[in-house]
Amino acid sequence: MSASTRTRRTRPAQFPWDLVGLVLLAVAVAFAPDLLKALFGRASVSYLSIATNALSLSILALSWDVLARTGQLSLAHAAFYGAGAYTTALLARHADVPLWIGIPLGGLAAVVFALLLGAATLRLRGIYFAIATLSAAEVLKAVVHHLPTGIAGGNAGMNVPTLFRPEFIAGQMERWEVAFLRNEAYFYVYATLLCMTVLASILVQRSRLKHAFTAIRTNEEVAGVMGVRPARLKLLAFVLSSVFVGMLGGVEAHRVGSVLPEQSFSVSTTVLALVTPIFGGLYTTLGPIVGALGLSSVQEGLRRVFSDGYLIGYGVVLVLSILFMPRGVVGLVGGLLRRRGKREAGR
Amino acid sequence: MTSVQARATGALEVRGLEAGYGKIQVLWGIDLDVAEGEFVAIIGANGAGKTTLLRTLSGLIAPRGGSVSAFGRPLRGLSAARVVRSGVGHVPEGRQLFPLMSVRENLDAGADYLPAARARAGRNRAFVYELFPRLLERERQLAGTLSGGERQMVAIGRALMSDPRLLLVDEPSLGLAPALSASVFAALEQINADGVSVVLVEQNVHQSLKLADHAVVLETGEVVLRGTGSELLSHPRVREAYLSL
Repeated sequence: MSASTRTRRTRPAQFPWDLVGLVLLAVAVAFAPDLLKALFGRASVSYLSIATNALSLSILALSWDVLARTGQLSLAHAAFYGAGAYTTALLARHADVPLWIGIPLGGLAAVVFALLLGAATLRLRGIYFAIATLSAAEVLKAVVHHLPTGIAGGNAGMNVPTLFRPEFIAGQMERWEVAFLRNEAYFYVYATLLCMTVLASILVQRSRLKHAFTAIRTNEEVAGVMGVRPARLKLLAFVLSSVFVGMLGGVEAHRVGSVLPEQSFSVSTTVLALVTPIFGGLYTTLGPIVGALGLSSVQEGLRRVFSDGYLIGYGVVLVLSILFMPRGVVGLVGGLLRRRGKREAGR
Repeated sequence: MTSVQARATGALEVRGLEAGYGKIQVLWGIDLDVAEGEFVAIIGANGAGKTTLLRTLSGLIAPRGGSVSAFGRPLRGLSAARVVRSGVGHVPEGRQLFPLMSVRENLDAGADYLPAARARAGRNRAFVYELFPRLLERERQLAGTLSGGERQMVAIGRALMSDPRLLLVDEPSLGLAPALSASVFAALEQINADGVSVVLVEQNVHQSLKLADHAVVLETGEVVLRGTGSELLSHPRVREAYLSL
């Protein structure tokens, strides 16, 4: 058989696990609130809140991972998050913009800021890139601090109207069900945003961008001689990463009911954004989500056992996982499954 | 001795090229011509500037002076991604594959980002597999698990997938056993016979001069000798300095 005829054979199509996973995620979140209510009754109000926090962490982590796939370990996530939160809050306060427009505009503001930051840091590498991106949140925080109080509220921040205000209907529901309805509505908003982030991540992984990002991350010079345009694709990654975290910031501003400089531009947002994918498994769609669900569960479990001192236990878990799972939970499980598959194939 | 400059036009025209890194200048006024379909070897000791010359030609280093054009199109100031779109492929020193991607994925990555090359990917892949049948056998193997010779084959194959009319090849025999390096040189000869101009940078002077239509000798960033392959093979200075005869 000649080479030319043999190369024409089609490779067996891979089962689309990622898309199936997205559908399963959508189905799971669609039924989760009712299931929690049926199982736990009144306690489901706080469980829904915990689940919403886990979704929020998933969006934060997955959107950070999309940018990290190009090798840019950005510390600017708090800046994008805060830009989204403040834009949504400012539009609600000064222009009475409907919330459903304000949130996407929060994402857009984060994108504009990300493009500026991305263009300014294109030539920076390693620690220099990290420092430059870390300072982005501090710069925005300082700007918000120093704007006249009438505009952005200064140090005291601004109140932001809540998205949902379910009403108590006497005789038809119990008091706690009002809180449940509010939490359920927020849960669905976060779930929708997560599904959008997952879809974007899957589209990147299924397109030519996947290998282009890998090429830029592992060897930018070779990427160049392959015809990849690193600068353009890095900016694209900045856009894809910032739009979702910007919208997340906008949604959270409504959920929390306020924006504060210290809270919206907090370094802990950036730290969570990078620690979670490292824990779950970098450069994948599944890893950051597994990391977010895992870390949220660990945090909640420790909080219940140790109350105030739980952060010490949380830190120990993180250090151990980085030491013993350098490729994250997904890498560890994948490795074990592959080894098992080889053993069975050898029998 | 015949001047390469006087004879050749077409694939590559380099005039007074100067380049370097930071404060250090490496290339001092290089002139080089490669005709379409020609095989040109660049030889020289370590540190002579051979790799810097190739990297400058492919847009990885911005030149400080002089001019470069390929197929009549000026390349100076173009990024690597645009140079490869002009038909200039580059096989970098040290292979530089993506170890966690399969052989097929590494090869396809050479065409994926170039619309014109993508349209010809089927034909070019078939040519690569004809050239290196072993790669077809290992199509789905991760590049990181290949031997040095096989990696070099993938590196050359990936550059061929960009559908080049001129191929710049940097030290392909580095670290290879003699039999393997002979097969790599045979493949380069076949690529050239297929109509692709080749610029080869090599420390294996004997093999490369045997293959080359023309060659230049670089020393401390300057061209000190030019001639046909056979002329340089018998040149006393080359025999003494590079062939230890």
